Amino acid sequence: MLADALLRSLAGTTALLRVTGTNTDTNMSELGLVSTTFAEVVLSPAAMRKLRPTWKDDGVARWELLVSATSVELQVSTLELTSAQSLFAMTLAVTVAGQDYLIELIASNEAFGKVYLYRMMLREAAQQAV
Amino acid sequence: MQNAKDSFYMALRERLVALNPERMILLRGAVRPGILVEEAEAPFSQLPSDVFVLRWLGLGVDVNLDSTMVATECEIVYQTCGTQSFGGLDRGRALCAMDVELVAMLQPFSTPKLCYTATPPAAMMTQVFWDEASFGPVAVQRDRMSRSVKLMVYSYQEQGE
Repeated sequence: MLADALLRSLAGTTALLRVTGTNTDTNMSELGLVSTTFAEVVLSPAAMRKLRPTWKDDGVARWELLVSATSVELQVSTLELTSAQSLFAMTLAVTVAGQDYLIELIASNEAFGKVYLYRMMLREAAQQAV
Repeated sequence: MQNAKDSFYMALRERLVALNPERMILLRGAVRPGILVEEAEAPFSQLPSDVFVLRWLGLGVDVNLDSTMVATECEIVYQTCGTQSFGGLDRGRALCAMDVELVAMLQPFSTPKLCYTATPPAAMMTQVFWDEASFGPVAVQRDRMSRSVKLMVYSYQEQGE
């Protein structure tokens, strides 16, 4: 709850996880022939911060998304998943303020054995054809 | 040439299921055989372990034949950290098992070409065939061992392709 309040005070925004539908086990889906069904999972409050570029970044901007663990837990129970890791494993992209990002790395912060914050390192996704 | 790529992947997928039905992956919410085409999945920040990842690279076209022949270079990448019950100490054996599986999957060196845009897939007139695979050296990155295998996949362009 304290993490939620802090994220809100940092101009807390909303992040959308684009997750895949579960019924994708078809030949056509595996060959990229049919578009998979997607759903958007809302996580809020969240805060974005741009990471300092390094020589390894290939000019692609990297961001860190801080997400409240309570909103993740809520979505995990809503989607009847076993863990937050399952939710992140289903995620294709993260959308914040209309911009798509790809997840590079996920870490969590814990206190008293309980996760209170998820930190996602994101990379800006390239523009896709319409 | 897309039909040849699709047919090659589906042939390997079917052969893997017959060889080792236990090699599975949970991907996009579905449990499926442990082989995938990299360009047909979401970008990976880290390639999944214990599965075969197909990557399409070079392309050559020979038009000085009765039918145009297309050669596509395929890279098959796989990696493993071993199993949890062995604390990862069996990673060499696990990689060796994948080597053996891949050698078996690639034989015989041909498969019928099918068009997967139709349901059910429509059989075409020619075959997709490939040469012997070139196994690269093992790459070790801390607890992860990986190997890259390259081969050329050939097919004839048919009318309408």
